[in-house]
Amino acid sequence: MTETVARSAEAAVDAAGQAVSRPEPRPLAIEVRGLMMNYGARQVLRGVDFEVRVGEVFCLLGPNGAGKTTTVEILEGFRQRTGGSVRVLGLDPAAQPSRLRERIGIVLQECGFPRQARVAELVDMWRSYYRAPRPLEDLLAVVELTTDRCVQVRKLSGGQRRRLDLALALAGDPDLVFLDEPTTGFDPESRRRCWAAIENLRALGKTIVLTTHYLDEAERLADRVAILQAGRVEISGPVRQVARQAGVPTRISFTAPEPLRSGRVEPPPDLGITLRGEAAICYTANAAVALRALLAWAAANDLGDLDDLAAETPTLEDAYLRLVTGGDQ
Amino acid sequence: MTRTLRLAVRQALHEQRSFWRSAEYALFTFALPLALLLLIGSTTATGYLPDTHIKAQMLFVPSIIAFGVIVAAYVNLGSKLATLRHDGVLKRIRTTPLSATAYLAGVLGSTAATTLAITACTGMIGWAAFGVVPRPAGLAELAGGLLLGVVCFGSLGLALSSVARSAESAAPIANASYLPLAIMSGIFDPTFSVPHWLSVAIGLFPVRALAQILQQGYTPAAHVVSVNDLLVLAAWAAVGIGFAVWRFRWH
Repeated sequence: MTETVARSAEAAVDAAGQAVSRPEPRPLAIEVRGLMMNYGARQVLRGVDFEVRVGEVFCLLGPNGAGKTTTVEILEGFRQRTGGSVRVLGLDPAAQPSRLRERIGIVLQECGFPRQARVAELVDMWRSYYRAPRPLEDLLAVVELTTDRCVQVRKLSGGQRRRLDLALALAGDPDLVFLDEPTTGFDPESRRRCWAAIENLRALGKTIVLTTHYLDEAERLADRVAILQAGRVEISGPVRQVARQAGVPTRISFTAPEPLRSGRVEPPPDLGITLRGEAAICYTANAAVALRALLAWAAANDLGDLDDLAAETPTLEDAYLRLVTGGDQ
Repeated sequence: MTRTLRLAVRQALHEQRSFWRSAEYALFTFALPLALLLLIGSTTATGYLPDTHIKAQMLFVPSIIAFGVIVAAYVNLGSKLATLRHDGVLKRIRTTPLSATAYLAGVLGSTAATTLAITACTGMIGWAAFGVVPRPAGLAELAGGLLLGVVCFGSLGLALSSVARSAESAAPIANASYLPLAIMSGIFDPTFSVPHWLSVAIGLFPVRALAQILQQGYTPAAHVVSVNDLLVLAAWAAVGIGFAVWRFRWH
């Protein structure tokens, strides 16, 4: 059902001609259909559907307890699902976890390092676990730890440790990387560097599955997001479309011209313009249509250019809050 | 298979490097048995066993070898794994294709290497300080006892790391479980004697069994070769392995 919603929404976007011309769709890295998971009598996942294409940065969002971690653990082959079908890089993670692990990299939350190890030595150790590892220098460069190669791991800062996490996850030159809340608890500078490292990964053509609590992080990094709530995908799609799909309207505002404020000119019909002090505001599902109507109205009434005219497209955060809190904004 | 073996060897080398780099582990593991060897060996464990011409040190030196096996394989391995688990290192290793078999074989291999080093040190000091050497015909007992001892106490160490709820509690649990047995088994005093019923009870545990097998490597006069000791060690090894397989956790 969720899938149908997502599909029809995508189709609608296509029909409106707003989607960029899509070349051949890239093959699927992950395909999840009707995924169910019960812990005892408790249903944690109730039919999750989504897919991730090769080379995409996909972000799984949702409040605590929505089933993000469970979903990711099933994809990684750590947990046996109760029902539904899952393909990761063409493999069933439940049936072939070790083959899968040759090809994926996993950055878990809060995972320690052996206490005595040094950076390069540890990365090298991890490389030995894989059949076709990535060169050491390369790994250090991707996560900007080349100059810290001889530092003892316990002397690294939080941000450096997180980037070392990433280097270890990349040791096997994986096609697919799972990142679980990569920047939780970071200062802005560390976040920026971690994001840079993730952007590097994208440039290498890796498929990335990200879970995060930070919507700005998702907005900045992800090509597509899925919002999980109470064991279902409430909505999924390209970041820019999710807000629209969630039904969050675009907010249009301008400084109300004097004739409008004094009531000498009637506001355009059907736009639902409200006045708040000097500002005139309206909400619309179709910004282009509304703006055209607004400008035509201004011209017809000789109001000139509308001062401070602005259309605020809904953000991912608007969509998220609307879905998760049922928020009325 | 060869790949698993190669990975295990590499893991063992890595573990050795980290062992020697970690001063507390290395010092504790080596210093304790060697210090006791010198201290007790030159004071209370001098003289001859009652009614024999056997130097007490002929029993004491192999007893300390057994003690070294227990410290390295049981206490050290158990608390190390508990720490790695607590720190999330095991969880991280599980995300790689490295198999549990290769990893644990590597860790146990490294433990065996450490044990061998302690044994060599103990034997050398026993020879240099007390003039006590293994009998040539007893090398089989020594080698067999060491192997069985590492397997038995190593697997019990694995089991211990799974029983301990936290990294901090692993070492105290380890010490509390083997130390009373070691004392009652006469590890630190070759002439130590206990009431018959207690002796029977202690005979069910692997500490005295290992010590007695190793003592055979030094002098045949102390005990008759006991199939019981072998059986006890083998049975505890089976218990340890079974428990470790059943309960081993990555996080």
